[in-house]
Amino acid sequence: MNKKKFLAMLLTCAMALAVLAGCSNSDTTAPADNGGDDAGSEGGAYKIALIQQHQTNAFQIAVTEAAEAKAAELGVELKILSADQDAATQISQIEQCVSEGYQAILFEPVDPDGLRDAAKNAADAGVVVINIISACTDWEEAGISAVSYGNNVKAGETEMQQVADLLGGKGNIAILTGPSADAGGLQRMEGYENILANYPDIVQVVSPADCAWDTAQAQATVESWLSAYDLDAIVCENDGMAVGAGNAAGADSGIIISGVDGTPDGFEAIKDGRITGTVSQNGGAMAANGIEAAVTLLNGGTLETNVLVTDNTWIDASNVADYE
Amino acid sequence: MKETKRTKALLSEYFIFVIFIALVVVLTCLKPSFIQPGNLVNILKQASINGILAFGMMFVIIAGGFDMSVGSTVAFTGVLAAMLGQGQYPLIVPLAVAMLAGLAVGVVNGVGVAVGDLPPFIMTLGTMTAVRGLALLISNGKPVIGISAAYKAVAASSLFGIPMLAVFLVVIIIICSFVLAKTVYGRRVYACGGNLLAARVSGINTTRIRISTFAIAGLLAGLSGFLMTSRVTIGQPNAAESYEMDAITACVVGGVSMSGGVGKPWGVVVGCLLITVIANGLDIMGVSSHWQKIVKGAIIVLAVLLDIKGKGKKN
Repeated sequence: MNKKKFLAMLLTCAMALAVLAGCSNSDTTAPADNGGDDAGSEGGAYKIALIQQHQTNAFQIAVTEAAEAKAAELGVELKILSADQDAATQISQIEQCVSEGYQAILFEPVDPDGLRDAAKNAADAGVVVINIISACTDWEEAGISAVSYGNNVKAGETEMQQVADLLGGKGNIAILTGPSADAGGLQRMEGYENILANYPDIVQVVSPADCAWDTAQAQATVESWLSAYDLDAIVCENDGMAVGAGNAAGADSGIIISGVDGTPDGFEAIKDGRITGTVSQNGGAMAANGIEAAVTLLNGGTLETNVLVTDNTWIDASNVADYE
Repeated sequence: MKETKRTKALLSEYFIFVIFIALVVVLTCLKPSFIQPGNLVNILKQASINGILAFGMMFVIIAGGFDMSVGSTVAFTGVLAAMLGQGQYPLIVPLAVAMLAGLAVGVVNGVGVAVGDLPPFIMTLGTMTAVRGLALLISNGKPVIGISAAYKAVAASSLFGIPMLAVFLVVIIIICSFVLAKTVYGRRVYACGGNLLAARVSGINTTRIRISTFAIAGLLAGLSGFLMTSRVTIGQPNAAESYEMDAITACVVGGVSMSGGVGKPWGVVVGCLLITVIANGLDIMGVSSHWQKIVKGAIIVLAVLLDIKGKGKKN
């Protein structure tokens, strides 16, 4: 009996805590009372929700920070949620935000097809829906007002073009990819293939390895490869894996190692010569542009274009200091 | 006649070892560079972190438990070690803090299971999730960079050509094997897993023994976290995802019974080497990652199946 009572109490406490945690969860309220007037948003601050795919790497944290800064600048009330890479979670979060009366929802779809209906329902309910970082399938038909992303295919092309130039158009390469079914990874791969088509003398000596964006896994795979293959370049779909490849090869190994993202761990490895360079994907700018577009639309304005593309740049030892 | 019986008994006892040797021979024939010293060093490096985790896991499973939280603990302690290993303190500080933090997670698991009477799966599933959250919280979700050169050198250096990581593994293997096989404590761990009630009525403080096995797993996960950060040169909150599964696989393939009470340290060593060799061999042969997953799964099931069948003949 006593034990049951204790359990009941414990559960009640846990539930109360969960509710409290839910309320305070990343509820970044911008200083609406002092910034709201000069930002020109009439009748109180807009309520905007941002649902990130996850918040567990440097790229995503840059998105969070830039979104918070932009929201403060424009004087809007911003709530940030993380879907923890789960499509079902993200769908419920969108539904929840609609019923809580958010006027605009920005999100990075965990799955381009799976989130389409949820986005459409939100748009049908009169909410301004904007995709950031990547877009849902047929997003315009799903009622999504705008997309703000970097072009993953283009990032892949930039990276592979740099590697091809450094190789002088000839050499043995290997590719490390993200999880096999990841949309962003597949698009980067498409970019690689577009460039490789022009360089018949650049040979992939092993099939691309799925290292799931993970540094340790990439490091083990590349160690094994280097004992069996003569590689001139290792092209990685993100910086985390490039760092792993760089660790396996060692500093100034003579092997060209490249990544995508432009995250602090990548920059550190560029500076000490473990990796050659990276293509920066400015996630922060994507989020900031998305919020700006949302506010424009909520103010009754129109966008010049509903496809906002953030440029990518090649960063190597010569310019890494400018990006830290 | 007696001789052949003895060989047969020996063979069935060490069948997993035979499978391992067969696999090595096959891989060497398919790709001679597999057996080159450089690659053998790779295998040792790649087996070390999983090996240390598997030895902690072995204590827990033999005592009749199960630990899902070691992967998260590696990430958490790895981030802690990265934050303290920037050169501001001597290296012993991040090492000690990582191991103590791992120990703390282990003790929480152990108390939940042994005192709270929670099923090990549920208890450690809870800590797995919560500790991953802690890792993300203290690192603010970002990888922690900037560890000192001395700290990087821990995993990168070697002793007489043997990578330092493997030296750590060998030390752990020797200590754990000795404790399990030669001490009263070790006997009691087996007793708890074999029959908890019998162990309790025979006067063993089973609560303390079970807590201690989780504590050992946590402590070794902390050591792994420290080494992991040194190896990848960054502390990543999302690292070591599903490492608990690899550790459990190494134990099971090595003959540790999931129902507790049975298992030998050398079996875990072979189990751990077996899964490392599979991954390394497939990488060397350039097998596509999609196939690797299928092959790895099939080999694990086959190895255990052959092992069981081999042992079955004896009885």
